[in-house]
Amino acid sequence: MSSTTGIDGAAARVLEVDGLIVRYGTRTAVDGVTFQVRRGEVFGLLGPNGAGKTSTLSAVEGLLKPQGGRVVVDGIDVERNPTAARARLGVQLQASSFQSELTIEEIVRLYAGLYGQRVTKQDIADRIRDVGLGDELGKRFKSLSGGQQQRLSLLIAVIHQPVLLLLDEPTSGLDPQSRRQLWDRIETLRADGGSIVLTTHSMEEAQAVCDRVAIIDHGALLVVDTPAGLIARHRDDPRVLTVARGAVTLEDVFIGLTGSDIRD
Amino acid sequence: MTDATSTGARPAIGLIRSSLLRADATVLLRSGRTLLLNIAVPILYLVITNLHLGHKGRGFTYGSTGFTIGLALTVGLMSSSLMGYATTITHDRDAGVFQRLRVTPAPTWAIMASRLLVQIAADLIMTVVVVIVGGIIHRTTFGAGDYLLLVCVSIAGGAMFLAIAQAVVGLVRSAAVVDAIGRMFYIVFLLTGLLGSSGILGSTAQEVAGWSPVGAVTNLYSGVLDLAQWSWTDSYGLIAVIGYTVIGAVVGIRWFRWDSR
Repeated sequence: MSSTTGIDGAAARVLEVDGLIVRYGTRTAVDGVTFQVRRGEVFGLLGPNGAGKTSTLSAVEGLLKPQGGRVVVDGIDVERNPTAARARLGVQLQASSFQSELTIEEIVRLYAGLYGQRVTKQDIADRIRDVGLGDELGKRFKSLSGGQQQRLSLLIAVIHQPVLLLLDEPTSGLDPQSRRQLWDRIETLRADGGSIVLTTHSMEEAQAVCDRVAIIDHGALLVVDTPAGLIARHRDDPRVLTVARGAVTLEDVFIGLTGSDIRD
Repeated sequence: MTDATSTGARPAIGLIRSSLLRADATVLLRSGRTLLLNIAVPILYLVITNLHLGHKGRGFTYGSTGFTIGLALTVGLMSSSLMGYATTITHDRDAGVFQRLRVTPAPTWAIMASRLLVQIAADLIMTVVVVIVGGIIHRTTFGAGDYLLLVCVSIAGGAMFLAIAQAVVGLVRSAAVVDAIGRMFYIVFLLTGLLGSSGILGSTAQEVAGWSPVGAVTNLYSGVLDLAQWSWTDSYGLIAVIGYTVIGAVVGIRWFRWDSR
């Protein structure tokens, strides 16, 4: 395992995952994963399908109870105080939806309230306009395009200015324009001091927005480093050289370390 | 905008509750299916039974005004719970609505309690509307005390059918299967209550029907509309309603899963 999983100074850490174990029946989905995320950092979790990325995020979100290990968000133990931990988190789930009978305006009002934000009609309209959905105020979530749904989901995830934002495959299914827009928003959030953990299958995305990435497979963390650091460390690895086509890329490192077999 | 949680403080439960209630009430009001099941079905039942029975006064035997209105109210409670509530819960579970709500600081009990409270409120509105319409159709007037007692029975009966619906969605994950079970229970409960209470199937069936969900609640409605005639049958109805509610709630809470996977 990489030596770059650790960060000195508890105050510098916004997320600490220590020896996390998640099991579904007899199957171990996450097997002793340990990593930390710094304040103001964009941290990527990469892995094939079923590697344990979403299970790791679900444990951080408090959606499932891990069988072992510890998750600390901004100094708060998620298992001991899940409500306080969730108040510090902004979350965009991989597959989430909102009540289909509610308009966008009503959805924003609902989630603002759930995060303790008292908002006026004008506040809501301003927020929605900020993400380019000003003309869609009275529409239902289902009637929005994929890119618009993603923007609304992100707006709701950051409505309470969380100390840590969790994005589970945020650009999955988006067109290039919408994807670039999201990257710009991630950059803006980082510039404002936000910390972000995202899962992705896109190596291009990981290189574009992540300060550090972790590669996870079969529930275990294989390496943690900057994208450039990972390439530099593995450019002479025979497993990577076997799959490389020309200059070694992050994707070559990823496939070299996790194998070429297709995962379902 | 007030940043109550920008520093990560726990948001006030009052604001969480009111936000959930407002959203759930809006969803219910906009749901044509739920409104149809809640209000239109019992009124349709009243109209149909009136065509056959006409006005017979307040005798509270089978086919009487009290029994007919009581059964109409029971049908309303059962429809909205077994088909409306159960279907909505499984749909939202499949769509990931609950998972999205669960990653907020809102306690899970508040998420579910809001749904149940809104459904009970809808049941109470249905009660008042159906009793008014039933009174007009059957040319009977009800006093404030009658309304109060009917509302109390609707709270108990609504809670019982919601508990049964909760048990169904707790034990079954598939939305299609929940829908099918809801319909099946609806028919079985209705036939048991209706045919059993009629005495057509004999006195034993009639007694058993009194312990069935529909029979128990219908007896309670009839009982509170004629307190002077309150009998052991009505008391058994109350015991049955409490029993079904407790069992349904325990099963529905113990085995409920927020995620359909």
